[in-house]
Amino acid sequence: MAQTVISLCHQHLKKCFQTLEMTNKAWNLVLAECTPLISSLGNLGEQLRALDNVQLDLTPLHRFPDLKERLRFKLLQAVDVVLCKLTDKVDELQKLLKTLNNQVSTAFQFYEHNTDTLDLATCTLRSATSPSIADMLEWLQDAHNYYCSQFRRRKYLLQVLRPDDLVFMEEVSKRWESFYSADGEEHIEDTLSRVCLFVDS
Amino acid sequence: MDENVTPGRKGNLTGSARKLKDNAADWHNFILKWERLNDEGSAHATKIVNLVLSKESAKETTLLPGADQSDTGLSVADTSSVPSSRTELFTDLEEECTKLQEIVEKMAHIVSKMEKIVSSEKGICDLETFQFGAKGRDCPLFLTWSTSQFVDVSSRLYGCYRQELALKQLILRQLAHTSDPQLSMVYLSAWLYQPYIDDKTKLLLESLLLETGHRT
Repeated sequence: MAQTVISLCHQHLKKCFQTLEMTNKAWNLVLAECTPLISSLGNLGEQLRALDNVQLDLTPLHRFPDLKERLRFKLLQAVDVVLCKLTDKVDELQKLLKTLNNQVSTAFQFYEHNTDTLDLATCTLRSATSPSIADMLEWLQDAHNYYCSQFRRRKYLLQVLRPDDLVFMEEVSKRWESFYSADGEEHIEDTLSRVCLFVDS
Repeated sequence: MDENVTPGRKGNLTGSARKLKDNAADWHNFILKWERLNDEGSAHATKIVNLVLSKESAKETTLLPGADQSDTGLSVADTSSVPSSRTELFTDLEEECTKLQEIVEKMAHIVSKMEKIVSSEKGICDLETFQFGAKGRDCPLFLTWSTSQFVDVSSRLYGCYRQELALKQLILRQLAHTSDPQLSMVYLSAWLYQPYIDDKTKLLLESLLLETGHRT
């Protein structure tokens, strides 16, 4: 009986780590697709600021009627297009997070329903090819929390971004990049390499 | 008579309907060509701005060795290297300006063809007034538009592109002589985003294509 529960728990954990590996790859791909969009946004911010700073009446452009308003409208339209594309990308991140969340929740629910069998001694037992259940659950929770926090930060940044806040617009690229956590990424990579024998077994 | 059928739904058009349908196709092709030229021009305009900005920074570096006369070997090496790179800068700048000029000339050619469309449609309208009186024909040539509506749409489209061309001609004249990076950026934005060609222009073109049966 105990062996069956342990084996089922291992099955759940394997699925979780397979999903984590898939999430990690897909997540980084989506983020790479966001980079040029974020830099476009910063660039549009610079263009809007330049348009604000230049007094068109004192330049050769003064003879063009409504140029400032028309150009601002066009630039804001371009901002909208980029923001729509970025929102789609963040939605993709949310989908990845949801899949991971479902998988991790299932593993935790299984553990909680079987705490009688999966006692402390069983959960902390490990072998050369298999880390302990307790360790693996902890790593999964850490990975899930990392992606949750990454998602929330990026989504919040896009939600509070206002095209009329030019300083914010110009800094958006820096802020977006500042969310990248080398430690967090390393932690995920470490986790995946620690469990690779277990997943393949 | 050919003029009395509903040519929008027939294969072989003749007379005014044929001319108006061909003009609509020309509008579509001219605008596509314009957009292509705009993208090409934008790349050259960006290069021009970058070259002007590096020319300005090169000017500053050439001032430095001259200010300090005590420099010997290093300043000679510096002054000999800077002019050659500056000459290169000027050559590149001239090259890019020539390319941008060629693009603007092609755009001007497109606009002159657009003007001819407007004048030919005005001619069609005058012909109809002569044939059917001030009220015009009873039955529309295509779906719902009267012939004067074609003239109106073409004139509005032409007006947008004429204004945009004037803006581009000014940008061409000013771009290489502007050392203010902010103004250069405004020029680049204005080139790329074409403020006088708005969504209404696209809507007019699409309506024209729909009316003449190019779009279904």
